[in-house]
Amino acid sequence: MALAWADQPGDLPRHFESRQALEAELRRLFPAAEGNLSPIRGGRRQAEALLGRVQPARYAKGRNFLDGPVTRLSPYIRHGALSLAEVRDAVFARLQAPGGGGRQAGEKLINELGWRDYWQRLWQQLGDGIWRDQEELKTGHHPGAYSPDLPADVGEGRTGLACMDGFIAELHETGWLHNHARMWMAAYLVHWRRVRWQAGAQWVASSFSHKSYFFNRGNLERYSNGTFCRSCPLSEQGCPFDTSYEQLEAELFKPLPSVRSVESGRRERSAPRSSGPSAALSRPARRR
Amino acid sequence: MQRPILWIHGEALGPANPALQAYPGQPAVFVFDAELLAGRSPTTGDPAGTAPQAVSLKRIGFLYECLLELPVSLRHGDVVAEVLAFARAHDADGIVTSAGTDPRVEAICEALEQELPVEVLEPEPFVELDGRVDLGRFSRYWRRAEREVWAAAGSEQ
Repeated sequence: MALAWADQPGDLPRHFESRQALEAELRRLFPAAEGNLSPIRGGRRQAEALLGRVQPARYAKGRNFLDGPVTRLSPYIRHGALSLAEVRDAVFARLQAPGGGGRQAGEKLINELGWRDYWQRLWQQLGDGIWRDQEELKTGHHPGAYSPDLPADVGEGRTGLACMDGFIAELHETGWLHNHARMWMAAYLVHWRRVRWQAGAQWVASSFSHKSYFFNRGNLERYSNGTFCRSCPLSEQGCPFDTSYEQLEAELFKPLPSVRSVESGRRERSAPRSSGPSAALSRPARRR
Repeated sequence: MQRPILWIHGEALGPANPALQAYPGQPAVFVFDAELLAGRSPTTGDPAGTAPQAVSLKRIGFLYECLLELPVSLRHGDVVAEVLAFARAHDADGIVTSAGTDPRVEAICEALEQELPVEVLEPEPFVELDGRVDLGRFSRYWRRAEREVWAAAGSEQ
């Protein structure tokens, strides 16, 4: 797009022969920035193309699956290539069109847009204080029990867990993660690795929840269609997520009531994993 | 304002930007914020953290591709200094921008106001909620917001 006013010395270029040329120029202009261009292209045209493919009813049914029909609009909304109000209006128009399904078909998608509006309002209200814990942790652990830094194996995507390393690779490659993958990774970092949520949030520059969301293997396997578990070296033995929610809750959030209660029925599952080869694969030490 | 320039920031890189809508054709500028890109602002980094992380090329590229589809000059450096220099180059009598969520937007507007009048336009909200909104839990917010957002949908039918 040509400008209606003259360039000034020091203006950054606006014309590129190719995306490759843009990438080379950006490397020159921003030498401290790591990585490559994402396969996710910026711009309004791309945003409108994605918006045109949104199907509210299918979204409601399949959004939790990693290969489900999610909108992928979040970076475009984050940077205002599309406003939340524009997305809302496009969804309403689709629902009201013949065969659109009406309100019932769109409730989940509108609710998810509401989540974004909620976080925006909260950021506005809290300002830079959004980086601080807003409430006491609900995990039963003292804030000092959490590491302030991202473990190197997480940052480099070599935790040994096919699922987490897969998510980290995708984050490095595209800068984007499916909402469910982001929640699994956040829960893994905070609860299994005991990393402060702020370190994870800074890492992906998005807001990780510090609530006690967690998951188990069944949940992850179902919504990823088993993709990671099939190739995971820990699939048969040593998967730290392979247990019941009840067991995980006891291990991750509550102080151990007594050695006896662990031995009465739970020892069999947790014992082999407690001596795992690396921090990435073992569960966090319990604290009284 | 007779001859304003527009300051476009990273929360409004589309045609719904209220400054672009209110003043079409006026000279507009976006500044790649050196401090923010270095990871030294609370926009991307925990102020209590010890290790700033520079913004990746992926995000910069995404922003750049959005900007190439907008009528806007591109600069790199200190935002306040660059916007004021752009205003002087265009003999502007004021600066128009859009309200942001990031407190950094407001802080920059306050600094710009030391030199020139600044008009901050609100983007169209997702939902209009009057008075104090209880944000203690999403469910409390949504009890009010859901009703309003769907009422607005009904009024368009």
